[in-house]
Amino acid sequence: MAYVSMGEAHRRITEYLNRFCDAVSNQDSFTLCRLLSFSSNSPSILSLADALNVFQDASSLIRQSDKFSEYGEIIAHLFRSLQSYRVGNLVEAYLAFDKFANAFVQEFRNWESAWALEALYVICYEIRILAEKADKELTSNGKSPEKLKAAGSLLMKVFGVLAGKGPKRVGALYVTCQLFKTYFKLGTVNLCRSVIRSIETARIFDFEEFPTRDKVTYMYYTGRLEVFNENFPAADTKLSYALQYCNSKKERNIRMILKYLIPVKLSIGIIPKDELLQKYNLNEYMNIVQALRKGDLRLLRHALQEHEDRFLRSGVYLVLEKLELQVYQRLMKKIYIIQKLSDPARAHQLKLEVIAKALRWLEIDMDLDEVECIMTILIYKNLVKGYLAHKSKVVVLSKQDPFPKLNGKPVGS
Amino acid sequence: MNQGGGNTQTVPPLDPNSIENRYGVNGSQVQISPYQYSTGSDGASWTTHKVDNQVVQNGNYSSSNYYHPQPTVATVPATGNVQETPNTASFSSSSTSGTANTSQDYSGYTPYQTSSDPPQNYSNTGYSSYYSGYQQQQPSQSSYPQPVGAYQNTGAPYQPISSFQNPGSYAGTPSYSGTYYNPADYQTTGGYQTTNYSNQTAGGYQNTNYSNQTPTTNQGNYTSNPYQNYTHDTTNSHSSTVAATTTPVHYQQNYQQWPDYYSQTEVPCAPGTEKLPAPSAVSQSFPVPGVTNEMPASNGQPVPSYAQPWRQETNLSQPPSQQPAAAVSASNDAYWMHQTQNQQAHYPVPPQNHYQSPLETKPLHKTPFQGHQRTTYPQEMNSQSSVHQAPLGYRQPTQTTPSVDTQRVSKVQIPTNPRIASNLPSGYTKMDKGSSAAGAIKTPAYVSVSMPKPKSHATAVPEPGTLPKSLCGFVERAFARCKDDKENASCQAALKKVIADARDDGTLHTRDWDTEPLSTVLNTDVTNTESSSTLISSLQNKSPTKRPKSRWEPLVEKPFVKAAPAFSSGVKFGGWNQQNQNNKKSFESFQKADAVTDSKPTYSWQNSAKKSFQRPVKRQRFSGGASNAIDDEASSDSDKDLTPSAMSFATSAEETKRRDSRSKRFEKVQGHSRRNEIPRPMNPNVGNLHSRRGTALRPGEDFDENGCRSVEDIDWNALTVKGTCQEIEKRYFRLTSAPDPSAVRPEDVLEKALLMVQDSQKNYLYKCDQLKSIRQDLTVQRIHNHLTVKVYETHARLALEAGDLPEYNQCLSQLKILYGEGIEGCSLEFAAYSLLYITLHSNNNRELLSSMSRLSKEAKKDEAVRHALSVRAAVTSGNYVMFFRLYKTAPNMNSFLMDLYVEKMRYKAVTVMSRSCRPTIPVSYLAYVLGFTDDMEVCSEWLKAHGASLIADSNGDMLLDTKASTTSLFMPEPEDAVAHGDKNLDVNDFFTRTS
Repeated sequence: MAYVSMGEAHRRITEYLNRFCDAVSNQDSFTLCRLLSFSSNSPSILSLADALNVFQDASSLIRQSDKFSEYGEIIAHLFRSLQSYRVGNLVEAYLAFDKFANAFVQEFRNWESAWALEALYVICYEIRILAEKADKELTSNGKSPEKLKAAGSLLMKVFGVLAGKGPKRVGALYVTCQLFKTYFKLGTVNLCRSVIRSIETARIFDFEEFPTRDKVTYMYYTGRLEVFNENFPAADTKLSYALQYCNSKKERNIRMILKYLIPVKLSIGIIPKDELLQKYNLNEYMNIVQALRKGDLRLLRHALQEHEDRFLRSGVYLVLEKLELQVYQRLMKKIYIIQKLSDPARAHQLKLEVIAKALRWLEIDMDLDEVECIMTILIYKNLVKGYLAHKSKVVVLSKQDPFPKLNGKPVGS
Repeated sequence: MNQGGGNTQTVPPLDPNSIENRYGVNGSQVQISPYQYSTGSDGASWTTHKVDNQVVQNGNYSSSNYYHPQPTVATVPATGNVQETPNTASFSSSSTSGTANTSQDYSGYTPYQTSSDPPQNYSNTGYSSYYSGYQQQQPSQSSYPQPVGAYQNTGAPYQPISSFQNPGSYAGTPSYSGTYYNPADYQTTGGYQTTNYSNQTAGGYQNTNYSNQTPTTNQGNYTSNPYQNYTHDTTNSHSSTVAATTTPVHYQQNYQQWPDYYSQTEVPCAPGTEKLPAPSAVSQSFPVPGVTNEMPASNGQPVPSYAQPWRQETNLSQPPSQQPAAAVSASNDAYWMHQTQNQQAHYPVPPQNHYQSPLETKPLHKTPFQGHQRTTYPQEMNSQSSVHQAPLGYRQPTQTTPSVDTQRVSKVQIPTNPRIASNLPSGYTKMDKGSSAAGAIKTPAYVSVSMPKPKSHATAVPEPGTLPKSLCGFVERAFARCKDDKENASCQAALKKVIADARDDGTLHTRDWDTEPLSTVLNTDVTNTESSSTLISSLQNKSPTKRPKSRWEPLVEKPFVKAAPAFSSGVKFGGWNQQNQNNKKSFESFQKADAVTDSKPTYSWQNSAKKSFQRPVKRQRFSGGASNAIDDEASSDSDKDLTPSAMSFATSAEETKRRDSRSKRFEKVQGHSRRNEIPRPMNPNVGNLHSRRGTALRPGEDFDENGCRSVEDIDWNALTVKGTCQEIEKRYFRLTSAPDPSAVRPEDVLEKALLMVQDSQKNYLYKCDQLKSIRQDLTVQRIHNHLTVKVYETHARLALEAGDLPEYNQCLSQLKILYGEGIEGCSLEFAAYSLLYITLHSNNNRELLSSMSRLSKEAKKDEAVRHALSVRAAVTSGNYVMFFRLYKTAPNMNSFLMDLYVEKMRYKAVTVMSRSCRPTIPVSYLAYVLGFTDDMEVCSEWLKAHGASLIADSNGDMLLDTKASTTSLFMPEPEDAVAHGDKNLDVNDFFTRTS
């Protein structure tokens, strides 16, 4: 920490106070945002923090001027938070920032216009980031992390301020997205539901009027929720929307969307090109796509096993696992095509024995009972048309389109 | 017996009057109805306590019989009377009958129901519905409310009037009682399954019933009864003078009976009483409580009522020694002064009459007094209640204290009815307002009671000989307060001195010992002997500070141990006295501390003391602060707004549940941990009484709202219990207050207990109960080690075995915590269970994903976990072949969890196969694939049950016609389904629980 003289500290603090008050009185959202964003670690913020640590009695400075004292309480919390943040006491920083945020939201509520929306965004963002950091600190100290949860309830409060009618509603989606991030992180995804309901059922505000940025984020998260629910058509819609409107320069965001969109698309029978996977570095899906193409059950299983942790964490494991049935379908189709080459007349009769043999080539050991079971499931799920003659252990395929394509519909529909 | 029968027969002609009366009174009862309803609806927690409940119910029933002098029951009422008189000890018999024959009681019920009265009919329907809905608790409950409400409107009004106006009309009361009772039962019916529940409601009801009914019914019975001899004079004069007033004889009976009732009713009440309802209910039944209730009431009635009881007591004391009259009157005056001037003026007159010829004048006295009350009421209404509460309350405790005997207390209660009858116009409105009014009304009747008292005293008082009876009572009281030998000795010394002084003064016979505050003894103690001072200090300390202790053992035990010897009538009496005295103790000590000058605090104390009739110890906790006491007062005030019966029913469903669990706990304690301390009564009935007593008393010690508050700021670390109980077996009670170390088993005993459970051949319910109690003891002692893990693992396994998923989940969540703390255990086994559970039951993908991602590499190598993962894969892919193969090879208890999914899996499999396979599938194959262990019979039965169409081929083998089955398959309703969703709560299991 660079040495800061008393006078210099005094100067910096006064300057900050001036800028803050000017920004508020001029309704200069941009400046206000810069004054508030801790995590940007901008030099001006850091230098202010240093100054505050040198010049401990900032509150007296605030009191000195009527101009400052109007927002004195707000700024005092902010200063305290900044001080703690600078010295690495993140829990303290969070607590002070929480107070600041509450005070600010109170002020914001009183402002007629939504000029400070951007500043509020910054605060929402900062409080979440600070909470995450504070939780990390708490965990490392062996205490239970709870700040993010607290941040969640604060964000919910902010959402309440914005969710009503009026110009401020535009900001609701941003807060919603921050809430999503919080809840996904906390694993309390079910809490998203109330927010979603409030967004989607509101008639007074068209969804399209929200900023694109927020819409993409919102669609991304709600799409993920649909993936959890294995509601693939809905997930497809939402994630595709997110992909469509996502800024094409933000590759990282696109990749995040694709991480979920690809399994969804696979589940409804749409296989991506390899270039897409390569472009966005989604190599974990390479083998899976390959397995689907080839009907290689072994490859699919290996791929799943290889990336099990990743898939489990992202929550697509179960979705990918269900691709097995499509792989079986592809395998049967291959057998059927081969049979057709040798004996077109009886090609539509697939002996279970043959399928079992094919699986054995893939080093998957299955007896006839199990194969029969899988065949019945395939037929039941409409991946294979035909019937299974139990007595003769033969799958009798329909002569017409025995292996219907999914064409964008989920399996079993 | 015969007489009772005769009475009933003769009475009927009077009925019409009674009925009319009843209608007039309706208003008061109507209020009650909602409450009853709520209580009736409860019943959730009934599972555990079947035994107790039965007992209680029996008790109730017998009492009901007693009250139901109606034609059908003609014999029954008589028996009821006999049973309940304390002296005859028939009481025990009654209880025995009740306990012995649950079934009998029930049969007894039916007759009741059938009885011709409209209300009764109603009850009948209620009963039938009750029984029918028995298994389904909630549905039945919901259905009940309407009947209850209806009933109450008609029947409830009934009761008060009948009791009041037609003292002579026996029929009126019986019908009333019948109807009334039925409702009570009825309510219980809602909770009927839970025996505890019934107890509670019944208790509340009984109290109310008694107070209201008893006068009238007793009169009828009484005249015929042997007691007549005593009362003749008074009765004659009485009846002649005052139409409404009850006969003295009647009182006597009541008096004697009451104690029993008291104890009985009280006990049932106690479980239910807990917070609000209990006090109110109690107050109704008990003279003192009634007074307290009245106090808060805005009507101002309470005050008069109070005065009356008080006066009565003095009257009683006078007969033996007539001297006191002056003193009494003086005290009366003073007392009244506080309340209202009007009353004062009136009051003096009655006492004079009374003194001159106690027996004859009493009736006279009554009438004026009543009239007086009426007049006074309006005036008092506004100002009195608030202002005068303090003085009243203050007075009361001291006065009541002398009458510590249950009998006396009962006396006070009894009177209410007669007076009500006389007062009816004025009392009527009051009735509506609250139970308190009723209580107040009761008191005047009391006046005539003096006759019986000597007799009861003779039995009750150890040394009846030369000393005035009141003095005996005084001494008795004083001793009752003593906690141990030391105090006894000091108290004895003090008493000796006081008596000697009195003898020297020549005031031995003149002094009003009943009104003499015990504090005089205590004071003398203080001044004279050191030990006495310690006594006092201990008392004082006790009330404010010793909450944990007081909550539990000492108080409860004392009544049983000490009081029993003092009273020949019975242990229960002694117990009762003791408790009262305990209350008084606390109260008095409190008084001393405050030097009696500050009326407010004392008042609150008294209040508490009164309340503590049921819950003696509770208030002591709060003695420290007047604010607390005031709060208490406020709460009690709110209570008082309700009618007595209403109070008992005021509890919500949750409340009753809690009560149930509490009462269970008491039962257990009674049964096991306390076995050593409490002399086990020879007579099973007595035992029941005991247990009921226990249940009644314990709740009093439990915290109420106020208690909770103090509980919050306890340093739990400092209070961690070290158990001392050596019993291996202990039933589970859900704790509602600080644990009692003597009821908690230390770790080594718990280890034995765990072994015992593991080796036990008994059914799951027993084991579950035992394990829960072990868990509780562990929790209470904050034991977190391998034993804890073992207990939870054992319980989780047993729960799995029995398919008790809720319990299993409880254990599992605890185990997760314990494993998280790094305690060794079969964590992998339970990881597998939890995985299976999520897969098969919760059907929550996110949960499944997160629990899968939490598995470590090592965990995935574990056999059980691998198995669970395979099962998951089989389930998510719908691979039934794999599933049933895994089912057969399941390690540990995985198969038990899979059991719960087998049905679904089979159904899915058959659905899939019937859709996919053509034309047929042999049943033998299905049996093989679907895990029927090649048992075709079972398999085909199962298939048929699920709507599959089976055909036989030429060889006679059964085949599944897949095409036909495609559309015909269905999932049958599970046969053992219970409406409340937990078949473990099935009634049958419930009854086998203690077997």
